[in-house]
Amino acid sequence: MNIKSTDPKSAGKTPGYGNHIVQYSPEYSFCTGCVSCTIMCGLTHEGFTGRGNSRIQVDLDARSLVHHVLACQQCEDHPCYEACPKKDETMCIDPDTGIVYINEENCIGCGKCQKNCRFTPSRISMKKHKDRKKWKAVKCDLCRGNPKGPQCIKWCPVRCLGLSEDSILLPEGVRPNT
Amino acid sequence: MPNYSVEDVLGNPANTRQLYGYCGRIARINLTTGEISELDTYQYVPKYVGGRMLIHRIFWDEVRPGTGAFDEGNKFIYMSGPTTGTGIPAGGRSAACAIGASVNPEQFTFGNIGGWFATELKYAGYDGFIIEGKAAEPSIIKIDDDKIEILPAGQMWGMRVHQTQRALEEQFGHDFKSMVIGPAGENLVRIASITSANDCCLAKGGFGAVWGSKNLKAVTVHGTGVVVPADLKKIEYLRVNMNNPSMSPSPILHLDKIGVPGGEFDVKYDRGNVACSPGCNQRCNALLMNGVSAFEDHPVNHVEKCVSVSTFSWIADIPSTVGMFWPSEKNYCAPCKLLGRDFPAPDPSDPYFEDQGKVLLPDVYNLWKPDYEKGTIINDLCNEYGIDKWEIDVWLQTWLAMCSKEGLFEGMDLGTGMEVDVENVEFMKTFITNLVHRTGYYGNLFAEGMSRAIREMGYEKYSDTIYHGRFSTELGGQRTDVPVSLEGGWGQSVHWQGRGYEGSVEKPTWLAANIIRMQSTRDANTVEHFHSKIDYHQEAMADPYHSPKLIDSIINVQNNAEIKDSVMSCEWQSPDPWWPTMEAEMYAAATGYPMTAEELYDAAYRSKLLMRAILIRNHGRNRRMEIEQVWRVMSIPDSWNEVADWQQWNEMVDLVYDARGFDRETGWPYRETYEKYGLKDVADEMEQLGLLPQHPETPWHEYGEPPYVPFVENRKREAEAK
Repeated sequence: MNIKSTDPKSAGKTPGYGNHIVQYSPEYSFCTGCVSCTIMCGLTHEGFTGRGNSRIQVDLDARSLVHHVLACQQCEDHPCYEACPKKDETMCIDPDTGIVYINEENCIGCGKCQKNCRFTPSRISMKKHKDRKKWKAVKCDLCRGNPKGPQCIKWCPVRCLGLSEDSILLPEGVRPNT
Repeated sequence: MPNYSVEDVLGNPANTRQLYGYCGRIARINLTTGEISELDTYQYVPKYVGGRMLIHRIFWDEVRPGTGAFDEGNKFIYMSGPTTGTGIPAGGRSAACAIGASVNPEQFTFGNIGGWFATELKYAGYDGFIIEGKAAEPSIIKIDDDKIEILPAGQMWGMRVHQTQRALEEQFGHDFKSMVIGPAGENLVRIASITSANDCCLAKGGFGAVWGSKNLKAVTVHGTGVVVPADLKKIEYLRVNMNNPSMSPSPILHLDKIGVPGGEFDVKYDRGNVACSPGCNQRCNALLMNGVSAFEDHPVNHVEKCVSVSTFSWIADIPSTVGMFWPSEKNYCAPCKLLGRDFPAPDPSDPYFEDQGKVLLPDVYNLWKPDYEKGTIINDLCNEYGIDKWEIDVWLQTWLAMCSKEGLFEGMDLGTGMEVDVENVEFMKTFITNLVHRTGYYGNLFAEGMSRAIREMGYEKYSDTIYHGRFSTELGGQRTDVPVSLEGGWGQSVHWQGRGYEGSVEKPTWLAANIIRMQSTRDANTVEHFHSKIDYHQEAMADPYHSPKLIDSIINVQNNAEIKDSVMSCEWQSPDPWWPTMEAEMYAAATGYPMTAEELYDAAYRSKLLMRAILIRNHGRNRRMEIEQVWRVMSIPDSWNEVADWQQWNEMVDLVYDARGFDRETGWPYRETYEKYGLKDVADEMEQLGLLPQHPETPWHEYGEPPYVPFVENRKREAEAK
């Protein structure tokens, strides 16, 4: 399943943000609200599904049924990382890609990263740790370390998700590579 | 407390079989006392699998004979399946049952529903819930993880469906997912539905009115927990193989025609596709965008399925193909892909290509001319008031049109102050609004549902008068008789039964549909669509009443419907005729329990028997009763001007009963039938009640006279007059 651009030269970069998950224009593909992205994210990262366990969220509109997929946009000034009291132990930056990721075992569950995310709702979720006493932060790291790439993109049945730098920006909205 | 880890699920002391997929708890919510308690799911599974099989067991155990739809003793039992929330396609659906308000006579009935609610409920830690009793005041149930509260509905009481959903989100948070009723349910309109997100409805059975009778406006849920399936690799396999998902973009389409093939008309509109079920790999339902609202000044989007299209235009009925019911392996395409316009090109190398591709031409009725805006408004009225579209689109509108054309409404306005005119949107708005609010004599009358209203107005005239505007395309335009009322049995409209709506189907197909409807309590064809295989077609056509392959197909359809409503899948995804182990694989992927396809099939027999036992014990079901429900339909000419033969029909019923282990005379299961499927306790109770048949010394063949059908007498009178 090809999720890479067939023409790297066509890749676009959003100023101020690193490579991140984007939702395409409905003229290219319309999100069906199946939330396969959130479910498969939780399954591949944690082995189970659940709202807080997914690194990607879908803002579901029960009336219009026009839904918005929400994921970390990998801000280049990374306020979440800056706010972390254990930065470089818990909240870290991949030196090769610039992706901000979380070492879960070191997370103390303070929630500062979530609060300092510049987006509303926050692109960082808090999940309840299995001991039920602690909270842990989770965020999209583009499935860093997974050779198959971001699983939300892989499992979207209508291909309405892609990577920003593998996609082409057109005036009428973000279009994917072809 | 919800589950937050694998350890929580497997560490539950009641989970002795170490099953994944389930939450392990079922909430019991008593609206009379306010008491909240829990049942252990694991006392029922894997034997009762989940969903419909599980609610059959609970209903059998808890709801006694004599309970009516609006009685406090009626229970609304709702259940997800083990695949719900796991990422297994179509697993997000769920099942419910109660004594149904729309069923005539009132009986146990069931339904299933999509949306995000069931998955959210599992995140809150519950596989399902039982709602019993009646609240003292209009109420809502709020489930926030394991905190369940019964709260005043306040100003939500009186709100329409989408207003209520919005109000719940505003009050409790955007993450709460809800099932709600509209004004129809509050006013005990018998055809009232319950609506979740995506305009998914529990529309059959009148469960919205059951909630209204309990003073229950909505159930809203939010969960912070998890669902833990057993086998991620298997889930991935199912996602890429179940009905061959195209995994391709699904853009907004800017279209300029709508309608079924052959009945399309020009109109510009935008269409998207939506999925009803969290985690599904298909996109079957249509989202008609920016349509006219019946209530708002601004345009609104509507989710529409197969039935809605009829309300835009009814010049002719909907055509079918042989392959829709008798598919071949090379050209099989699941209904979800057909409806989602995601189907592959036909394969002409198929040796059955021509046989299965044969189009069965629809009858012409000329009931109302194309009008997209009017149809959109009527569909919006149904969505917002919370009423069953089948009743409005297929039955009420056709009845109004046919009665008008036959002059049965002379001097009547049916309480609208206007001439009865199904093509007049103001008339339709007024009539439906009166019905929903029980305004005036006719509003109150039709709030009881078409079945009861027509009987009150005079059955012989308002049901069985002949409509003279039906013409068979299959017979080159020959006029054929049809009654003005398209009733299909158990107080619900016709559906793939060989005449009326979706009527142009061959005799084996409509015989099967009527056998299935007969044994149910509702429009069975929205949950038990008949499918066989093209290799069985020739035998079935040669002698449709006595074809063992047709009988086998009927049993298969019924049992597979139990399975998909329990493992939890979708009528449009399951079954796949060429992947008979699919549902067993889904179950194993979710639970880790290696149930074989054969064991699952036995569980379906068990579930079907439990429903049969409920109908016999609680509602006096017997052979004569169920034959009477469908005999009228089969006395109406089909598209080839043929009606059913009483003797041969009864012989077919004998064969079906034999195959199911039922007594031919009563239609009751024998003791050994119950015991074969692990229901000795049910057999014991039935014996105590005198409801176990004895094997007759010789087979029973006293079929008696066919039930009286006024339509048949009307046909005779007209024939004699000529």
